[in-house]
Amino acid sequence: MNAKLKKLADRALLGLCVLLLVSPAISVFLWMLSLAFKNDVDNLAYPPVFIPHPPTFNNFKVVFASGPFFQYLINSLVVSGCATLTALLVGVPAGYGIARMKARKLMMTILIARMTPAISFLIPLFTLFQLLGLTGTLTAVVITHLVITVPITVYIVAGYFETLPHELEEAAYVDGCSPWQRFRYIALPLARPGITVAAILAFIFSWNNFIFGAVLAGRETRTLPVAIYNVLTFEQIAWGPLAAAALLVTLPVLLLTLFIQKEIVGGLTAGGVKGG
Amino acid sequence: MAAVTLSGIEKSFGPTHVIKGVDITIADGEFAVFVGPSGCGKSTLLRIIAGLDDPSGGNIRIGEQVVNDLPPKERGVSMVFQTYALYPHMTVEANMGFGLMIAGESQTTIAGKVAAAARMLGLGELLARLPRQLSGGQRQRVAMGRAMVRDPQVFLFDEPLSNLDAKLRVQMRTEIRSLHQRLKTTSIYVTHDQIEAMTMADRIVVLRDGRVEQMGSPAELYDRPCNTFVAGFIGSPAMNLIAAHVDLTWAIVDFGGEVGLADDLRTAPGQRLTLGLRPEHLRVLPADAPGIPCVVEVLEFSGADTLISCAPLDAGKATAVGSNQIQALVHDRLAVKVGERISLGIAPELVHVFDAASGERL
Repeated sequence: MNAKLKKLADRALLGLCVLLLVSPAISVFLWMLSLAFKNDVDNLAYPPVFIPHPPTFNNFKVVFASGPFFQYLINSLVVSGCATLTALLVGVPAGYGIARMKARKLMMTILIARMTPAISFLIPLFTLFQLLGLTGTLTAVVITHLVITVPITVYIVAGYFETLPHELEEAAYVDGCSPWQRFRYIALPLARPGITVAAILAFIFSWNNFIFGAVLAGRETRTLPVAIYNVLTFEQIAWGPLAAAALLVTLPVLLLTLFIQKEIVGGLTAGGVKGG
Repeated sequence: MAAVTLSGIEKSFGPTHVIKGVDITIADGEFAVFVGPSGCGKSTLLRIIAGLDDPSGGNIRIGEQVVNDLPPKERGVSMVFQTYALYPHMTVEANMGFGLMIAGESQTTIAGKVAAAARMLGLGELLARLPRQLSGGQRQRVAMGRAMVRDPQVFLFDEPLSNLDAKLRVQMRTEIRSLHQRLKTTSIYVTHDQIEAMTMADRIVVLRDGRVEQMGSPAELYDRPCNTFVAGFIGSPAMNLIAAHVDLTWAIVDFGGEVGLADDLRTAPGQRLTLGLRPEHLRVLPADAPGIPCVVEVLEFSGADTLISCAPLDAGKATAVGSNQIQALVHDRLAVKVGERISLGIAPELVHVFDAASGERL
C-alpha cells in the first residue's frame, strides 16, 4: 500500500513539475486562443473571462477584411517553402561534406550567419537588392531567408550524418560506389529522419521571421508576421483581431510540430551493423 | 582469382608507426589468415589491401598489377566487415545486388547472380527481408553473399565471426571454409582468435607490432614456432614457457625440476633458456619420477580430456614466464586429486627451446 502511495506521489510531483515547466508557454497560447474567440466587451472584463461565452468568429472576419490575408498566407508559404527547399538542396550535401571531412571550422563559419543579428545583414542586402531591382519582390525575401534556413539545415544534417556508421560507406566504397553514389544511395536515405527534422525546423524559423519581411517586402509581398504587425498598428489595441491573426499564423507551425513527432523515425539504422 | 603480394608495406597514422615493413605473398587460391593480438596492425593491413587505407610505403600487387593507386572496385576485392555493414534500408536482395547495380549490370544478370549466391548460402527465403529482421548468423551470410556475387579476385574478411555466439562461430567457420573450397577464391581472413586461424588457414601470418613474426602452415607454426611470442600465441591451451638453464643433457628448470633435451638442442652449459612445453605433450608421473615436481591446483574436466593446472613445488622460486602455473592436458582419466604432488615429464623431442634473452628458437 505504501509503495503504491509513493508511486502516486512521485507521479503527482512529476506532473506538477511538467505543469510548471510548460505553463508559461501554454498559458500564453491559451490566452491567445481565448482572446481570438471573445467579444470586445469580455476582453476588458473584470474578473477576466477565460472561456468565451458565446464564442465569436467576429475577430477572424475583421482580420480577413483588413487586407488580403490569403495573399499574405501564400506569400509566407512561398517564402518559407522556397527558402527551406533551397536550404535542403544546398545544405544537405554541404552537411554531408562537412561531416565526412570533419570540417568543424567551416561549420562554425556557417553557424556565424545564424548567430549574427539579422539586422546586420539588412543594410548590405537592401543595397544589393536595390541594385538588382529586387526590392519588394518575393525573390529578395526568399534569398534573405536563406540566412536562417541554410545554417540550421547544415548544422542538423551534418550532426546526423556523423552518427551514421562509417562501415556502411566503406562497404559501399568496396562495392564500387563513387563518393556521389555513396551519398545518393547510402547516406541520403539513411539520413532521412535528420533531414526531415532539419526541414521542419528551417521552415518554422523562416515562417516566424519578421524582420526581413518587414524591411524588404512590398505591400503585396508581405509575409504573415508582417501582416499581423500591421493589424496591431492600424487598429491600435484591437486585441481580438490581433489574437485571431496570431492564431492563424501559429496554426500551420503548430500542425507541423505535431507532424514532427510522427516523422522522426528512430532506429532506421538499426540492424545494419552489429547488435541492432 | 589472383595472388596477392605485399612488399615493404609501411603505414603511419601521424607519428604512430602501425605497419613496419611487411612482406607477404599469398598464392592464388590460398586461404591466408592474419592473426595477432589487438593493435598488431592486422586489420590495417587488410584495409590497405582493400584500398580503404593508403600505405605510407611499399607496394600491393594483386595478380600482376600494382594496385596502390586503384580504388577498391578496380582491385577486384570484396570485403566482409566485422559489423557486417549491411545497408539497413535495403532488402537482402538489394544488399547483395548493390555492387552489381553500381557496376551497371542488367536487372536479369543481377537477379540471376543474387539467386545463385542465395541458394549457395541458404538465403533463398530471406531475400525480401530487411537486415534488422535477420539473426546474427543470417546477417553474416548476407554479408558473405554480397561479397560473393561480385565474383572478386580476392575475398577479404575482417574478423567476420567475432559478433557471433560460440556455437554459431564454429558453424560459420566450417561454412566459410567449405565455401572457399568450392569457389577457390584467394581469401585473406583477419582474426585475433588463434583457433580460428588454426582451423581455417592454409597459411597463417602471425603479426605483432606491425611486423610479421612468422608465416607458415598451421602445422609448421604449431610444430616449430620461431620465437616465444608465436609459441605462446599458437595452440590452445597456450604453451607453458618456463625459464631454465642448460646442464649437459638436461635443462634445469629455475623453480626446480629438470627436462631432458634432444641431442641437437644441447647448447653450452649454463646458457639461459626459455623452455616451451605444450600442455598436451606433458605426462603426469609419480612425484618421485624425474621431471618438474609440482602440486595439482585445479582440475578442469571437459569430457575428452582434463586440463590440470599445477603450481611448482617451491612457489617462492617460481620464475615461469607469464605465470608460474604449468598446465598439462591429459586424455587419460587419471586418479590425481587437487593438492596431490606429481611430476610432469615430457619427451625430449617435444621440448621447444628458445634463447632466454632474444626469445628466438634455438
